Amino acid sequence: MTAFIVRRLLLAIPTLFGVLVVAFLLLYVAPGDPVMAMVGERADEATIARLRAELRLDDPWPARFGHYVASIAGGDLGKSYITNRPIKQDIVERFPKTLQLAGAAMLLATVIGVTLGVFSARAPGGLLDRVGLAVAYLGISFPVYWVGLLFILLFAVTLHWLPPSGFGGVRYLVLPALALGMRSIAFLARMTRTAMLDALGADYVRTARAKGLQERLVVGKHALRNALIPIITVLGLDFGAYLTGSILTETIFSWPGLGRYVVNAIARRDLPAIQGSILFLSAVFVLVNLITDIAYAKADPRVTYG
Amino acid sequence: MRRLSAICLSLLLCCGGCGGDGGNRRALVDSRDTYDPRSLDPALSTDVPTGRAVGYLFDGLTRFTPDARVIPALATRWDVSANGYVYTFHLRHGVKFSDGTPFVSRQVASSWQRVLDPKVKGGRGWPLYPIRGAREFADGKATSIAGIATPNDSTVVVSLKEPFAIFPKLLAMPVAAIAPDDIPVNFGEHPVGTGPWKLVEWRHDDYLLFSANKAYWGGPPKADSLAARIIAEPSTAVAEFESGNVDVLQIPQGDIRAWQEDAERRKLLASTPSLELVYVAINTTRGPLKDIRVRQAINHAIDRRMLVRNLIAGRGELAAGVIPSSLPGADKTRIGYQFDTLRARRLLAMAGYPNGIDVDLWTSTTPIYVRIAETLQGYLQLAGIRARIIQRESAAAREAARQGQADLFVKDWYADYPDAENFLYPLLHSANKGVGGNVSFYSNPRYDSLVTQARREQDEGKRVALYTQADDIAFREAPMLFLYFYSELNAIQPWIRGFVPPVIFNGQTWTAVTKAAGRN
Repeated sequence: MTAFIVRRLLLAIPTLFGVLVVAFLLLYVAPGDPVMAMVGERADEATIARLRAELRLDDPWPARFGHYVASIAGGDLGKSYITNRPIKQDIVERFPKTLQLAGAAMLLATVIGVTLGVFSARAPGGLLDRVGLAVAYLGISFPVYWVGLLFILLFAVTLHWLPPSGFGGVRYLVLPALALGMRSIAFLARMTRTAMLDALGADYVRTARAKGLQERLVVGKHALRNALIPIITVLGLDFGAYLTGSILTETIFSWPGLGRYVVNAIARRDLPAIQGSILFLSAVFVLVNLITDIAYAKADPRVTYG
Repeated sequence: MRRLSAICLSLLLCCGGCGGDGGNRRALVDSRDTYDPRSLDPALSTDVPTGRAVGYLFDGLTRFTPDARVIPALATRWDVSANGYVYTFHLRHGVKFSDGTPFVSRQVASSWQRVLDPKVKGGRGWPLYPIRGAREFADGKATSIAGIATPNDSTVVVSLKEPFAIFPKLLAMPVAAIAPDDIPVNFGEHPVGTGPWKLVEWRHDDYLLFSANKAYWGGPPKADSLAARIIAEPSTAVAEFESGNVDVLQIPQGDIRAWQEDAERRKLLASTPSLELVYVAINTTRGPLKDIRVRQAINHAIDRRMLVRNLIAGRGELAAGVIPSSLPGADKTRIGYQFDTLRARRLLAMAGYPNGIDVDLWTSTTPIYVRIAETLQGYLQLAGIRARIIQRESAAAREAARQGQADLFVKDWYADYPDAENFLYPLLHSANKGVGGNVSFYSNPRYDSLVTQARREQDEGKRVALYTQADDIAFREAPMLFLYFYSELNAIQPWIRGFVPPVIFNGQTWTAVTKAAGRN
């Protein structure tokens, strides 16, 4: 297992380098100029030329890329063109907030989604199964910005149960986490139901029941454990996606996470900030995938990594 | 099932119990910033959130009142030499920065040098360029700005390259605000100013919290604290306002009608004759658009009255020229281009295009501009002008227009200071083609000379007359499709007293604003 983890971590290096190259080249060819964003609506050619020189934007691209890779290798993500703040500091400030939101969304998704799935599978075609199906359809079909605004209108503006937006304690977290987690709740509910139906029909479940085991233990310990692999897959994929792409949710709920940071950086063509964030988020994604793979092995002894 | 409902219930209960911020009656909350300020360093204030915050923390030699008058701030008065070249500013005595450092003339020079220093990477030197030697300093050809002298601690003598009578107005811009001598690396995060508020905390992308500067020279703010929340999504800001969590809201342009037609909400509205021109730049160097008649045809093709009524619920004053009617120089008797499709067709035919023309109509993805572009497309079609809409994200659209790649570009212009010059010079003077703001690439020697003359003219009456003449030329030659001056709409909570929405964005520092007693 250790060898597997080490190998995967080593493999991450060329992956991240690839990301670096692609991000750099895409930004190089994309229209838009960071200096234009810095100077605002009214400027003059001389100022722009000076700033371009100061930021070394007129260097040939191989030189710029070499310079950038060298500073990354030295552990320096650089400074934002626009704000002059170190990118690392910006990421360190914002990522924990994105992590908190993604974590809460996954927690809600796991609790609600898996519970719905398990109960649906126990009585297929029953009332709960049909409710679960409806929830799943709605969760998958409604876009997050719509659900988000609806939540704000209902729970914040009309009922006054929760604050509409912002960052703070748990009560600020509930609505964005629920909005963000809707899709996972839906997927997990359906995925768990299917996997559980398979497992509940298996021989070992019949054996467990035959030997007089309580139904709670049969479902919870025997069937659910075997149904875990697809659940972990969905959790891993969605968690990775939430960590790297909860932009809409963060925008709607004024959540000061990394997603909004990236969007702002893109709007202002803040190249170091965009590149630094992409690199960081790619590393996070690689890590989440690795953890998912390790979780497979933990959940199912039949999965081994040589 | 029981377990599930128990989970849901407990989730809602644990969060529901603590709802509603309540709000301190001496704590003000703003919601108008849509993105994080760039920095709190005046030298870096090139955007609205930054400029607003800098206005709370710092002072300039002059400042704007909410209704856009320019009044003394750190300078108590100034004398202008007879030839208009030399300004002597007499500085306020006894002013201290929030760290206790006394304010002296030397800091005026050092602050302005920082603005122009390429190493600071500010990017907005133009308000100080009228000073003699400012450009040389910015270009690295001089070690100090030749035109600034500080004969004693309370006097700054500024020599200009050429007379520029509205210079004191430019000094009220956030970028010209005064900072202390010693500027640490993280000054943008930990600013020290003389302004009415002090920074308590800046949570990026979340809020800025300010506390009243009890020692403010102009008298401390009436409230204890001011929070500027950063809310990216307009609908969310509306929800926060309706929940009572924020005190002031800028009404999104698409929501105006809903607010105006609601009897309850209408009472909270405050309208400002803001200095924002919404227009379509016509690139006067491209194809058929070189012809004045074609540009006039474009102006005649649009029913602007209908556009303003339907898209922004009538909250725009139709533009007949680039000078807003609230500024001296606007010719209020001038009648704008009338909606006349036949005339537009005739003008096109006279210009040699009886079968119409094809143009690219560029717009950013900002919803209101997209809607304007779509409306224009329909009207232009009636007059035989086939417009292809090209929609790009803001930075890309602006860059294309600045490089002269756009035939027509839907945009706005928000004044930095209340003067007709702020419209006439950047938008249409040939010195400002492209990045300077003239994306019409308009060039007319007569117009240029009138505007240049006006900038130098010391006599207010003569200057205003020159503005009117220049505006008249611009109107006739139509280097843009004149749409409207937008009248900004804010909603103010009933418990707030003293908040006047500012005409210029940094013209309201909340010092006179209070929250009514009884608001818990």
